[in-house]
Amino acid sequence: MALIELRGITKTYHIGDMSVEVLRGVDLTVESGELLAIMGESGGGKSTLMNIIGFLDSPSGGGYQFEGQDAGHLDDNELAHIRNQKIGFIFQQFNLLPRLNALENVMLPLVYRGVPPRQREKVAKQMLKQVGMADRMAHRPPELSGGQQQRVAIARALSGSPSLILADEPTGALDSKVSQEILDIFLELNRENKITTVMVTHDPKVGKQCRRTVRMADGHLLEV
Amino acid sequence: MISFNEIVREALKSQAAAKQRTLLALIGIVIGIGSVIALVTVGEMVQLTSEQQFRQMGTNIITIQRGWGDSKEGGGNPDRPDQMITWTEAKGLAKKFPKLEAVAPYTSSWGQPLFADKSLDMPVLGVTRSFADLNKLTLAKGRFISDLDGYSFFGVLGAGAAAKLAKLGAGDPLGKTVFFKGRGFKIIGVLARAEEGGMRPFEINPGMMIPIHTSFLFKKERVINEIMARIAPNMDRRRLKSRLDQYFKMYQPDMSIQVRSAEQLINEMAKQSRLFTLLLGAIGSISLLVGGIGVMNVMLVAVSERRKEIGVRRALGAMQSDIRAQFLVESVILCLAGGLIGIALGVGAAYVLAKVNGWIFFVSGMGLALGVGVSSAIGVFFGYFPARQASRLNPILALRDE
Repeated sequence: MALIELRGITKTYHIGDMSVEVLRGVDLTVESGELLAIMGESGGGKSTLMNIIGFLDSPSGGGYQFEGQDAGHLDDNELAHIRNQKIGFIFQQFNLLPRLNALENVMLPLVYRGVPPRQREKVAKQMLKQVGMADRMAHRPPELSGGQQQRVAIARALSGSPSLILADEPTGALDSKVSQEILDIFLELNRENKITTVMVTHDPKVGKQCRRTVRMADGHLLEV
Repeated sequence: MISFNEIVREALKSQAAAKQRTLLALIGIVIGIGSVIALVTVGEMVQLTSEQQFRQMGTNIITIQRGWGDSKEGGGNPDRPDQMITWTEAKGLAKKFPKLEAVAPYTSSWGQPLFADKSLDMPVLGVTRSFADLNKLTLAKGRFISDLDGYSFFGVLGAGAAAKLAKLGAGDPLGKTVFFKGRGFKIIGVLARAEEGGMRPFEINPGMMIPIHTSFLFKKERVINEIMARIAPNMDRRRLKSRLDQYFKMYQPDMSIQVRSAEQLINEMAKQSRLFTLLLGAIGSISLLVGGIGVMNVMLVAVSERRKEIGVRRALGAMQSDIRAQFLVESVILCLAGGLIGIALGVGAAYVLAKVNGWIFFVSGMGLALGVGVSSAIGVFFGYFPARQASRLNPILALRDE
């Protein structure tokens, strides 16, 4: 069974009288355990597609099946719930909460899941260990380098043991050496833990190392 | 769904992070709650203090006056002796009502007694022995009027009157003579200062007390101004008024009387001062309103500064209600903290006012409850709009925020 199945997804934004068609019928199937890179020019609709896959946004038309369930028309609470349970987000700018230390940041998805504190801490520590940040747990994001912050962000995405990791330009803010380290984490997680990963990138070096690459252009998706 | 403890923990962290702004927002609430607490406490202290004046005399005191036509004012008409309570009626009262433990009829007139050819503006009361007992008067010197004094020309000075005499060079007033309506009164006693207020006639401190029979010599009839009485604890108070009415009608069929009891006055005063307290509280509430608007402003700023955080939390699975609760709790904590500081300041201010004015100091439980309740309510009320705004942010746009 496919994890993600998009059929004819469209997305139109209305700004005043103007309407902008960002996605013009996207078909995409992602199997469980895949590592997929979505490439393409900016403005091509990559982010919109990511938002729809990640349940941050709803499509205007078309069908979305996630784990075999229809997921096209969910209300705000259902979207929040499914994000919390099924999706792990990783952002270009890491998006850690600066007031919380690394451990607290990693625990956050579990807070919204209602996991009791002791168990939350246990899981979060384990995740930080897995991304090599065990010795930085009490540090706050501003005290960490970009690469370290992204490791914490990966730990945060993993803490809820999601069905899908969605990474939006995860190496976009890092230099090439650190980029490769971060990418290696993704590759290893996918290889060892069979974690399904969808990554948006415009870096061909990153794209090349993913097993499957698709390209977004002008609202359409093309297999490469 | 996030647990309540979690929300409070998060809120405390956010407050700590924005110390300066938090502090500034608090000032409005501190002043608001502080003034409400101070005002309410002062109101209750004043009430307690004046009640205390009644209680010191005993709450089982009543006064009986001649009613004055249909008017609610008592006192009779001094110019119409036929419309006054007479000595005969007053004297018979104790016999007819054995449960009136002490009965003290008295006369009151205002005059210009002379001392050493100087005029003294002072009230003169014609009293019996029981007058001292009912009013809990204590003597500084000499003795009080006795019922055996009959028509003698003796006078007992109130503390204020004695001071007046001393100013005129009387020295020790005992044994000195004060002239009133052409007759010389020998001063046989001086009273210690009596507490003012309560049921006590105000004439005591500034006046001179003479035997009641002597006072009748200066009147056309043997009429009295007021009867004070103490009622026995087991007396049926509800039927007292009608029985007294009946009694006086035996003598003068068209007579109406006014009976006032300490209890009744205390209740009336309590009602009035509750109103007063409410009024003061309402004035304080205006400053709270201003404080609340300040909090709303701070919360709105916090929401717009933390759009990114809101976006991240939403992406991680926070529902709108989680975000709303988070900001609402922050606002309530902010207001509660301000409220607690305000309570401390308000109680402090009330303490100073009590010391300065000689009121009985106490911490008003109602005031404290009001302070805590009102500040939380302000937190919810003025926090709701910013919290709702935060919860309704589009997560995608919020995430894009820098």
